[in-house]
Amino acid sequence: MTTVGGDIVIIGSGITAANMAAHLAEHTTRSIVVIEAGPASTPFAERTAARKRFLAYGENPWARDHLEDQNAFGVTYGFSPNMHVGGLAMHWGGVTPRYSPEDFITNSLYGIGTDWPYTYEDLDPFYQEAEERMGIAGEQGPPAMDPRGKPYPLPPIPVNYNLQQLQLWATQAGIASWSCPSAKATVPYQGRAQCQRCDTCYPVCPSGAKYSPDFTWDALVKSKRVTLVTGTLVRRLVADAKTGRIVRATGNRTDASGEEVTIEGQTFVLAAGFIWSPHLLLLSRDAAHPNGLANRSGLVGKYLAGHRNIGGQISLPLELYPGLNAQHSLVSKQFQRASYPGGKYLRHDLRLWESSVGRGARLRDDKGNLLLGDALLADWKQRAKGATARVRAYYDVLPHRESKFVLDDTRKNRWGDPMPLVTFKDAPESEALRPWQEEELRNLFRRMAKAGGGEVISLASNANDIGQEHPTGGCRAGNDPTTSVVDGWGRAHDHENLWVGGAPTQPSASCCNGTLTFVAVGLRTASAIAKSV
Amino acid sequence: MSDEPTPQVPSRRAFLKVAGTVAATTVAASTAGVVACTPSDSKGTGEAPAATGGARGTGFDRRTLDALGEVLLPASLGSARQKGAVDAFVAWVDEYAPVAEEMHGYGYADIRYLPPDPAPGWRAQLEGLDLLARRSRQRPFAELDAEGRRAVVTAALAPFGSAAIPDALGAPHVALALLAHWTNSPDAWDLALGAKVARDTCRQLQGVERKPLPLAGGDA
Ligand SMILES: Cc1cc2nc3c(=O)[nH]c(=O)nc-3n(C[C@H](O)[C@H](O)[C@H](O)COP(=O)(O)OP(=O)(O)OC[C@H]3O[C@@H](n4cnc5c(N)ncnc54)[C@H](O)[C@@H]3O)c2cc1C
Ligand code: SF4
Repeated sequence: MTTVGGDIVIIGSGITAANMAAHLAEHTTRSIVVIEAGPASTPFAERTAARKRFLAYGENPWARDHLEDQNAFGVTYGFSPNMHVGGLAMHWGGVTPRYSPEDFITNSLYGIGTDWPYTYEDLDPFYQEAEERMGIAGEQGPPAMDPRGKPYPLPPIPVNYNLQQLQLWATQAGIASWSCPSAKATVPYQGRAQCQRCDTCYPVCPSGAKYSPDFTWDALVKSKRVTLVTGTLVRRLVADAKTGRIVRATGNRTDASGEEVTIEGQTFVLAAGFIWSPHLLLLSRDAAHPNGLANRSGLVGKYLAGHRNIGGQISLPLELYPGLNAQHSLVSKQFQRASYPGGKYLRHDLRLWESSVGRGARLRDDKGNLLLGDALLADWKQRAKGATARVRAYYDVLPHRESKFVLDDTRKNRWGDPMPLVTFKDAPESEALRPWQEEELRNLFRRMAKAGGGEVISLASNANDIGQEHPTGGCRAGNDPTTSVVDGWGRAHDHENLWVGGAPTQPSASCCNGTLTFVAVGLRTASAIAKSV
Repeated sequence: MSDEPTPQVPSRRAFLKVAGTVAATTVAASTAGVVACTPSDSKGTGEAPAATGGARGTGFDRRTLDALGEVLLPASLGSARQKGAVDAFVAWVDEYAPVAEEMHGYGYADIRYLPPDPAPGWRAQLEGLDLLARRSRQRPFAELDAEGRRAVVTAALAPFGSAAIPDALGAPHVALALLAHWTNSPDAWDLALGAKVARDTCRQLQGVERKPLPLAGGDA
């Protein structure tokens, strides 16, 4: 049995944890220990080789990025069984839009959903801090659609030739678009190289231009401000029956030894992502807390949220050259800030990419004749001419209380802990609107195609249909302990020294990529922890 | 697939799933202690995926394969570039690591693996092409004239009626695999587009706003 500990114990080493640890290291003198279930994965020096094999064969560039027996089941859209240093953001695309002010007050504005216990304005400084820590490159959109307190820390990713053409088309369709903000260094930043257009941001950036949490861990470990303990799965939090204070955590090594580990600390921070944070709270039930810790409201593991999308391919009478920097896109937040006085509710983002769909070589012509050699190339040259745009809108889905996971006794890890079984469910108001919302989005894309003299090639909702992307929830924040798990700062209503960071605390998931917000929310919590210790 | 553009990778085949339902059986009595770690430096404990691949020497009959390349690939490439494309294909097959872990997608939570070694099947098909040439035209495939080779390839590909070129790794015939490998290369895309786009190449961010230059020296 090993015992480790520090004043502040952070569970999980994902992107939220990394930025929270960095904030705490700068704003407190307390010792910080971080416990991560998985090992370190592919070192930076090996990422060029990993990229090569990903491009050649589709191999996973992240060695040992999961534990064989620790997984969630059911509808786990947006979730992979990811457990290694840096968490899911070792794989992420680095796309970092902010939510819009409306997200925080849908109930006040539209009478649906739940207002967050804080506003966009309250979060703005932490958005800025997240953007500065991660080095976000972005272009300020029209302020009414894209409000922010300070400029982006890094200049935007340039709008490439293809996107310029698509931007003109969007303008014709009445849509304002701009360079999508991304965690990609457009100039050398904090030791990271300038982006080199390698175009494999998702899943692996060989140059280090894309922010990944291991960079922060490296710096924190080197500075000796943080001890990072890897390969250790926290399996229980132990609470004092009378005071509710967390007195320790217990877990096991995830290597072959399986050794027991005790983790001692004064302050415990759950930053283990949207599934594993509430999972640990439920697993930690005891006589004084028979429904799990922090669960007076019965809402731990509930109100799992996310958004869905409609995407499409549109053929246009333009001349594009697919492959210029295909992972970069244009964004518009025009429809995220729409108002619906007495009308139906739909809020969505809009993204535009170049696409090679329909522009590739083919084996047979329209008559079924085999195309070989120069005939194949001649046919391909014809097909390659012109342009295809990829469009996609994430739309806002409000979560049902019973959008949740349960502990599934039929699937257990090596220690016998039941794994989560996930079911996402739309709130009734979202469910009722869904057919209309999706048809509105398809109509928008049809209108856009028409405005450019083009044609819709395909329109589809995302693969798992019911699935929710950029999942959040499971420990929702609120002021009322009977309807929320943590307060507006992320502190558990029931345990004064237990905090939950980032995604799990969000009452809803907006309609754009969520990770920047998870980190900003985590930083807001870190600022409160720093004041409390 | 959702979040970002679908990367240019072979499609996923879920023929072999071992998502985390299997409980580990070996909890050995090791005394390994809890270690602090530096995640991304070269002393990190990650195992490079590159180390799992290896030159296996898949033993294609190069004479027949080169002849097949001459039928499939544009003659306007010139014989050196045709041969270069075949070399690249052979190297790619040689370096393949069967049943390696696929990149995890967005939208599923099971671990998926790449296919087993396709080389033996492709090698047999190559031999089959040669046998077909010998039986139907009384000469080895490599010794047939262009028209004879085309006829043999057309017959061999008759069962594959689809217009789409499959992913190279999932190609049900060696001819389709070779064709897919070439048509997926940045050079082939440049030829088709008539411009120097150099997809998948790492270079400067500067200049990305300019229209790509036409291919130097005309195109094939
Ligand atoms: C392919 C892909 C592309 C993506 N692209 C984008 C994008 O472009 N933009 C965007 O906004 N989002 C994107 N995302 C989503 C983004 O990666 C996640 O939202 C984000 O990384 C979540 O971070 P987190 O810190 O909340 O949790 P996680 O990354 O899940 O980190 C949690 C960590 O806690 C550890 N842990 C869990 N339980 C325990 C325990 N009991 N004991 C010890 N350790 C534990 C885990 O091992 C893990 O390392 C993408 C995701 C994927 C998979
Ligand atoms: S384009 Fe290339 S260099 Fe730039 S962030 Fe993406 S992978 Fe890294």
